[in-house]
Amino acid sequence: MSFTNSIDIEQSTVVIEAAPDNKTRRYDRQLRLWAASGQSALESSRILVISGSATSTSILKNLVLPGIGHFTILDPEKVTPEDAGNNFFLEGPSSIGKSRAEETVRLLVELNDGVEGKAEMRSLEEVLAKDKEWLSDFTIVIAHNLEAVLLDQLASFLWEDTSNPPLVIVRSSGFLAEVYIQYHEHAVIESHPETTQSLQIDKPFPALLEYAMSLDFENMDVTDHGHIPYVIILVRLLEEWKKTHNGSPPTTYAEKQEFKKSVLKMRKKADEENFEEAEAQAYRAWTTTTVPSEIRELFTEPKVLSLTPTSAPFFHLVHALSRFASTGSYIHLQKLYKARAEEEKAIFKSYLQVPVSEDMVDAFVKNSHALKLLKGKKWGALDADPQALANAVETAPKQLATHLALTALSSFATKQQPNAPLTPTMEALTNEALALLPPGTELPEEFEAAVGEVVRAPTADLPNTAALLGGVVAQEVIKMITKQYIPINGSCIIDLIETWTGVL
Amino acid sequence: MASQPNGTSTDWPGRYYHIDQVLNTPGPRTDPAFLAGDGVKTFLRNQAKILVIGAGGLGCEILANLALTGFKDIHVIDMDTIDISNLNRQFLFRQKDVGQPKATVAAEFIMKRVPGVKVTPYFGKIQDKDDDYYLQFNLIICGLDSVEARRWMNATLVNLVDPENPESLKPMIDGGTEGFKGQARVILPTITSCYECSLDMLNKPTAFPICTIANTPRLPEHCIEWASVLEWPRVHGDKKMDTDDPDHIGWLYKIAAARAAEFKIEGVTWSLTQGVVKNIIPAIASTNAIIAAACCNEAFKIATSSAAYLNNYFMLIGTDGIYSYTFEHEKRDDCPVCGGEALEMTISSEMTIEQLIETLVEKQDIQIKKPSLSTPTKQIYLQAPPQLEKATRPNLEKKVSELVPPGGEVTVTATTLPFSLSLRISYST
Ligand SMILES: [Zn+2]
Repeated sequence: MSFTNSIDIEQSTVVIEAAPDNKTRRYDRQLRLWAASGQSALESSRILVISGSATSTSILKNLVLPGIGHFTILDPEKVTPEDAGNNFFLEGPSSIGKSRAEETVRLLVELNDGVEGKAEMRSLEEVLAKDKEWLSDFTIVIAHNLEAVLLDQLASFLWEDTSNPPLVIVRSSGFLAEVYIQYHEHAVIESHPETTQSLQIDKPFPALLEYAMSLDFENMDVTDHGHIPYVIILVRLLEEWKKTHNGSPPTTYAEKQEFKKSVLKMRKKADEENFEEAEAQAYRAWTTTTVPSEIRELFTEPKVLSLTPTSAPFFHLVHALSRFASTGSYIHLQKLYKARAEEEKAIFKSYLQVPVSEDMVDAFVKNSHALKLLKGKKWGALDADPQALANAVETAPKQLATHLALTALSSFATKQQPNAPLTPTMEALTNEALALLPPGTELPEEFEAAVGEVVRAPTADLPNTAALLGGVVAQEVIKMITKQYIPINGSCIIDLIETWTGVL
Repeated sequence: MASQPNGTSTDWPGRYYHIDQVLNTPGPRTDPAFLAGDGVKTFLRNQAKILVIGAGGLGCEILANLALTGFKDIHVIDMDTIDISNLNRQFLFRQKDVGQPKATVAAEFIMKRVPGVKVTPYFGKIQDKDDDYYLQFNLIICGLDSVEARRWMNATLVNLVDPENPESLKPMIDGGTEGFKGQARVILPTITSCYECSLDMLNKPTAFPICTIANTPRLPEHCIEWASVLEWPRVHGDKKMDTDDPDHIGWLYKIAAARAAEFKIEGVTWSLTQGVVKNIIPAIASTNAIIAAACCNEAFKIATSSAAYLNNYFMLIGTDGIYSYTFEHEKRDDCPVCGGEALEMTISSEMTIEQLIETLVEKQDIQIKKPSLSTPTKQIYLQAPPQLEKATRPNLEKKVSELVPPGGEVTVTATTLPFSLSLRISYST
């Protein structure tokens, strides 16, 4: 007698794959995180990085290694002695005087034969003035310590059209840094949640319930008894429990303990692991299966309600899910319920108004409890909203202090002559920051510590800060490109003195 | 030349423009003892000697960061050679280096790229080195993937501390990553919590019940365990399984796939098979970069006093946004390495020595593989040498209560660990 047979009707066949090729072996440790689909998204991506600073090359290093398709460094400058001292992708004094874009690209492409790198020696001013469309051709644009006026122009241009690439803004000064991603919307199907989907013990589909009730637990032989899947045990016990408790599952602590005890009481031998597992998973019997509220909110998204054939597949899938959920059911996807899942998938697909690839439907259905739709804001929205800043003084003072110190530095810098040494005073930066807040609002207490660091090292692109930003930014870019895992929504503030990060 | 604050003749004007901004002036959170200017630069560039343990995912990053921040005398230990699966993140290595020792290749690359930095590699084990070797460094940064090696290093540095000699206290900065997660911490041996103090924070490895593996597999992992734990020894007898041998993995994969087909389980792949039997942990360049940078930043701040340093644990989770948590992990009074007090343990008076040993292996805050047990007066069970193992073996079946009085102490040792654990036993029944 085999329980799996009774549940899984579909036959599977053994298909043996060959040993992995060199490319698969090279990428093995990351394929375990984002699989072939994520890898192929990376390999088709084109990244633009503005400036060849130490931070910029640290970011690119962590994107070239996992195998993006293409990158361009936009930088008209020549390598200075200062650059040669803090950038690992320059060769010390021998790089001084050469094109910074060419030198850094040359040393970055060495990391991975599969990646194409290009040095672009135009200035961003020139590109914005004469050839803006060139920017639209990238998957994502990254800018490190870009002058504020130019950054605003770049951010505005990319924001104008929703088909333009997202912009990652990176600002750093000494031990402090900030990362912001400008996007309109970012939908994630494969968010890789820590929680697993509900097994719907509380609402078993008819065939499962019927099967669980049909088993003769008492007269079964010991071996079979020790092999009943825990889900079946829980479905059966819950049904029996409900019969003697007015149709309700265990609710109080005492009832839950009693339910757990009754699971263990059913054992024929002390070491029946399936019953121990059923006891450990007993909470599933009183967890109500509902559509998670975050998913329910997606059902009323304007883009779902006003669906057109050209809407992105994500919204079509959400729409189909909302119709499915309105029938009072929620999709079963566990392998254990394979046959049922196939039936339900067919119904789900019948609700779809446009063709969507099978792989995408599978991924969507599998993750339908953990879908994410992030809505972003234009860069600068926070600084342009005095009331929001005043609220942040209360809710996130530490993070806001660092953000304001960095903003104050960049607005101070735009008021200087180009190429003049940047030597701000505490007073000047404090005034810049105060000008952003509503009249009468005080700066957070932590501002002094933050601004003091900015005054100490206004232009320092410290190797460790650059390396840390290299990791943080590359990781967020990978999440954006693969549409897997969940990128930041807002600003990530980094303080490398007390070593903390926070979101604003 | 050694007295030049800007280091050696390989330096050029402007080289330290970025770093010097934080070395020339203190910040609001800088210790008053900070020697701004030439004093700190001379120490960093001409005197500081730093040891890096591991030249892998974290190690490559650590070496590059240290070299750029101005450390000139760096030593590195690693016992591994380069594998193709390292190349997606260990950026000092190329395809042509596969098979070469990591420590040597990494050291050469750094010296070629960053002028004037001396990196001394050692291709071997940390256990090969004695106390005098470790005493020569100002700081030690660990970028290891092995719990065992970290425990050894941690205990060695705690044992090194001589209260009469402040120089004997070597700060240990420890980093670790797993996929999008990681942690960096500062350990001041005997002063802060040590690696052993936090052993219970490690993720418990998933173990599948043998009954499930043998009878009711539900997951692809169950089928793979069946192939490696049950079928391999049944078919191959004493022949040892080599998880680096593609033929062996291929065999396990085929057996597991057939098993999966029989039970209608999907998802047995070559990659999963290899992952389960080798216990592969996902690893990416970006997480390593973050954690290595955090470690090097602490090393830089401790070596220069240019800013306050981490107190004492930084934990990062990058799967959902960027979540991190910085906190002070507390020292455990009953830590077998730095605590000094015996660990209280209450057991049933029926428990046998064999069962006690099993508990010591499994208990999250102990995890001692192959422990040997003794009391102040007698040997209870010794894993080695063979004669003593044989002589003490009959004790395995005896009750602990027959050999240890209530409140009595048991000393636990293991060859893999340079310390012993004291247990104070009491009986519940
Ligand atoms: Zn300790």
